[in-house]
Amino acid sequence: MLVGIPLEQSNSVVKPKDCAGEMSEYIVAVAEGRCKRSFARVFSYFAPRLRSYALKQMGNEALAMELVQDTMSNVWQKAHLFNAEKGSPSTWIFTIARNIRFDMLRKLQNRKEDICSDDLWPVLCEQTADANETSLDEQITLEQIGFMFESLPIKQKAVIEAIYIDGKSQQEVADELSIPLGTVKSRTRLALQRLKGMLQDHD
Amino acid sequence: MTKFHPAPEQLKQFAQGALSPVEAIMISAHCDMCARCQHVVKTETAQQANHVLSDSPSNYTEHIRQDLDSMLASITQLPKARPFRSSRIPPSTIELDGRRFSVPRTLRKFIPTMGNWSGLVGRLWQAPVDIGASGAANFIYMGPGGGVPEHTHRGFEFTLVIDGEFDDGINHYAAGDFIAMDEEHTHTPRSDDPHGCLVFSVLDQPLHFTSGIARLLNPFSHVFFR
Ligand SMILES: [Zn+2]
Repeated sequence: MLVGIPLEQSNSVVKPKDCAGEMSEYIVAVAEGRCKRSFARVFSYFAPRLRSYALKQMGNEALAMELVQDTMSNVWQKAHLFNAEKGSPSTWIFTIARNIRFDMLRKLQNRKEDICSDDLWPVLCEQTADANETSLDEQITLEQIGFMFESLPIKQKAVIEAIYIDGKSQQEVADELSIPLGTVKSRTRLALQRLKGMLQDHD
Repeated sequence: MTKFHPAPEQLKQFAQGALSPVEAIMISAHCDMCARCQHVVKTETAQQANHVLSDSPSNYTEHIRQDLDSMLASITQLPKARPFRSSRIPPSTIELDGRRFSVPRTLRKFIPTMGNWSGLVGRLWQAPVDIGASGAANFIYMGPGGGVPEHTHRGFEFTLVIDGEFDDGINHYAAGDFIAMDEEHTHTPRSDDPHGCLVFSVLDQPLHFTSGIARLLNPFSHVFFR
């Protein structure tokens, strides 16, 4: 039976390394006998400290309490994984809390920015169901793209080269070639359509 | 032999739990492959734990005390964790073209989220992985003589070499090496390893190709793959 946690004043001045031996014994008792009394000792020492740490890190009371709860639940449920020879109780518990914090942050970030992988890796993707279905030699190469580019009608090629390889604006290209901006735009569109068609026919 | 490690400051921040999730995943995966950094993190973590958890909690309200009381009561109702059933343990390897590659422990939990391999220009293969954090994560395999055209970055690019070796015109990298690149770096990764090179990479912004015909790739991503 548990009646509250004894948050003794004296508890608050004991450093983690000064009570490592004692805390180790409690954790072993939890592992071996599911001892609630021992767990209460571990909890009353670490939970308030974890809360202070979490509050500083997360800046939010609800998230901080969630971190404390998840961490201490792990201590209760996985006490058998604690090995005093590998590290102190504070190191073990802090490591659990640190991993849980990373997971919580990941979940908070997740879906916040929905970026498509193709947008980030703008290399031509030849979608194949399985790498094993296509030999490594059958992939499209930069040389082939160069070849496709060379096969464009000369006027389209000039526009694409100026815009995408030399990095000029469409207006600059129009001025240089003394042609209307609309013509530059339509040549660009036609050239990209053609390249797209060639890429799709590549298989 | 691993030559490129995270900066000491990064290892320290990792131990403190102060890094972004993406960076933490990369540092943790590097430590799986690097005994030296693993030791640094272990030592630093022990110091941090003693330091951080020393803060004596003060000015407790009755409210917080009650919250902690009921938390304790609910936790001790929980059953003991059941040992992992083998079906729940994620695989430890990935496969490409009949070859198996061992994946660092930290990255294994993401293997079930891995998409299909797709072939890219220049003897490159990539398979996307959902790491549940901002940024696009991929396993990338450079076949022998294959590589990525010269490019720079609009944000960060973290790379961990998992198997084999590659060169990017700046350095030569081998298994375990950790590489952090940003707007200030332009490089041309290429593997001349007879067995090719497998890396794990995370990007937060599209690459920007910088030379010759490869610049044609820049508009294609937007025109063709939206
Ligand atoms: Zn290292």
